[in-house]
Amino acid sequence: MLKPSFNDLLKSSFKSILKNKSRTILTSLGIIIGVTSVILLTSIGNGLKSYIADQFDALGANSIFISPGKIFNDDGGFAQGGMATTLMTSFTQKDYLLLKRKLKNTVVMPVNATYSDIKSSFAIKKNIEIDGSTQDYGESNNVVPSEGNGRWFTNEENSKKTPVVVLGYKIAQTLFPKSSAVGKKIIIKGKTLTVVGVVDQKGASMGGPSVDDAVYAPFSIVADLAGKEDINTFVVRAPNKDAIDSTKKEISKIMLEKYDKDAFSVFDSSQLLNSINSIIGVLTIALTGIAAISLVVGGVGIMNIMLVSVTERTREIGLRKAIGAYPRAILIQFLIEAIILSCFGGLVGVILGGLGTLAINSFFPAKITISSVIMAFGVSSLVGIVFGVAPARKASKLSPIEALRYE
Amino acid sequence: MTKLSSLNNKKVVLELKNITKTYITGTNTFSALDNVSLKIYEGEFMSITGPSGSGKSTLMHIIGLLDNPTSGEVILNGRNIAKLKEHQLAQIRNVTLGFVFQQFNLLAKTTSLDNVMLPLLYSDIPKKNRPNIALELLQKVNLADKISNTPAQLSAGQQQRVAIARALVNNPKIILADEPTGNLDSKSGIEIMKLFHHLNEKEGRTIVFVTHDMDLAKQANRTIIIKDGKILEK
Repeated sequence: MLKPSFNDLLKSSFKSILKNKSRTILTSLGIIIGVTSVILLTSIGNGLKSYIADQFDALGANSIFISPGKIFNDDGGFAQGGMATTLMTSFTQKDYLLLKRKLKNTVVMPVNATYSDIKSSFAIKKNIEIDGSTQDYGESNNVVPSEGNGRWFTNEENSKKTPVVVLGYKIAQTLFPKSSAVGKKIIIKGKTLTVVGVVDQKGASMGGPSVDDAVYAPFSIVADLAGKEDINTFVVRAPNKDAIDSTKKEISKIMLEKYDKDAFSVFDSSQLLNSINSIIGVLTIALTGIAAISLVVGGVGIMNIMLVSVTERTREIGLRKAIGAYPRAILIQFLIEAIILSCFGGLVGVILGGLGTLAINSFFPAKITISSVIMAFGVSSLVGIVFGVAPARKASKLSPIEALRYE
Repeated sequence: MTKLSSLNNKKVVLELKNITKTYITGTNTFSALDNVSLKIYEGEFMSITGPSGSGKSTLMHIIGLLDNPTSGEVILNGRNIAKLKEHQLAQIRNVTLGFVFQQFNLLAKTTSLDNVMLPLLYSDIPKKNRPNIALELLQKVNLADKISNTPAQLSAGQQQRVAIARALVNNPKIILADEPTGNLDSKSGIEIMKLFHHLNEKEGRTIVFVTHDMDLAKQANRTIIIKDGKILEK
């Protein structure tokens, strides 16, 4: 026998909230800020994860990397100090020949790099990383120029030390702003190289090295520019996904013949991805937890205002009781008001969080998820219930004559 | 006393038996009502008067089921209300009693129509009938043109008429008024008293009102004078 009906109570609560618009907004502000920041932070975390996953996809799914130094610890996380745990910073040509000879059904690509300014007849780019590798690298890393944008370099050019170079999209635009870079000359460390291809635009980056800013040349050319034959990394392409683990074991076996187990790392992209994802996951949870504190603060704000509101409306409560409101009707009315306030805050927060995600999306990958929306909204409503109970109970327990006498 | 004898054959709607109300403040006890017995008959127009602090408001609160006596019995329509639960008392206040206050106690920023409908929120009256009931009563108190006005836009006399319409909305048999003209100018006060007379004589409602004004109290069929928590004269 709920009288008034839930509907009536809802209506009357809405009316009372609408009568105090500025109070409503100020009260909800805590919840609005809390929900907005929870949604924004989870969006950024999720966006970061999928962005990194995309980047790793671009690395090639079947790729295995061999790096000097110990990168991972035994738990799969990153080792402390990273590559600095060993003095060894590169591999030799002998390692390359050994790997090539012993690994069957795989493609072994040596990678080296050097830094230099790059000049064209139009512009100069300072301190650019120039990566060197072999013909296979282009296909393996998904950076072969598409039709009409030139080509990747060949093994023949590598062995003959033909001075050719492939530019990333952005760097090609900078060096040759007026027309296509293909066929043009650039100067690196006094050496003239011919641009044979421009890699397609790959899109935004988070400030790290991007394919759009990359410069690729044959391994032998980069070795000449660097003045040393050292190999920074090997990329080994396994024939298929299932062969990754066995290939990794095989590589470790070959390398252990020559090096200590802490002197090198063998890993594939999924391993790296998992490690990075677990770091981002922990960060996201920590940041979201901090943001969630503001939800609780918002809840306390609602409780304060509702307690003030009970005092402010003491006469109204007394009157309602005198004319027939039973305690539970008053309790439910005040509880509904608190819940409406927090749900309103939650709703505005979800909208602001969504808009904010869209806004930062233009320069930072962010991705809103349904689960974060549901969680933030659910928590904010829960906060309303939890913090609404105390004021509502206080209101329902007021004695009608005391309340009517209240000035 | 002649007036009382003429009421003797009438039905008693509310009876107080040996009501005592004691307040304890620290070590002091104070009796607001001291062994008060009283019968209220159906259709009578009764006033309760006395100096301030005499206990007349306390008496009114007990009659209105807003407060429990320390001892004694309250019998409403033959039913002892001592054992009733809070929500049952609320229901009786909603349906059987209509309250009019000195301070009007209208909800601020709320229209006359919504104010009059407020008690219906806690009643069984179907929602679709509610505006019509309220409208009819606002017409009765001559405020048909003020249904959308909020209390701030009404004079004191108009506000009290809205409050009376609200008291009538559940068609109660008994109207309880606590200093209903206390905040009004004399002209509005007269109008309000006229309205009470009308409700009593034409509609047969039982009216009980509290006032400190002896002249006003004499307008009633019966006047009860209370002093120091005791009834002096019936």
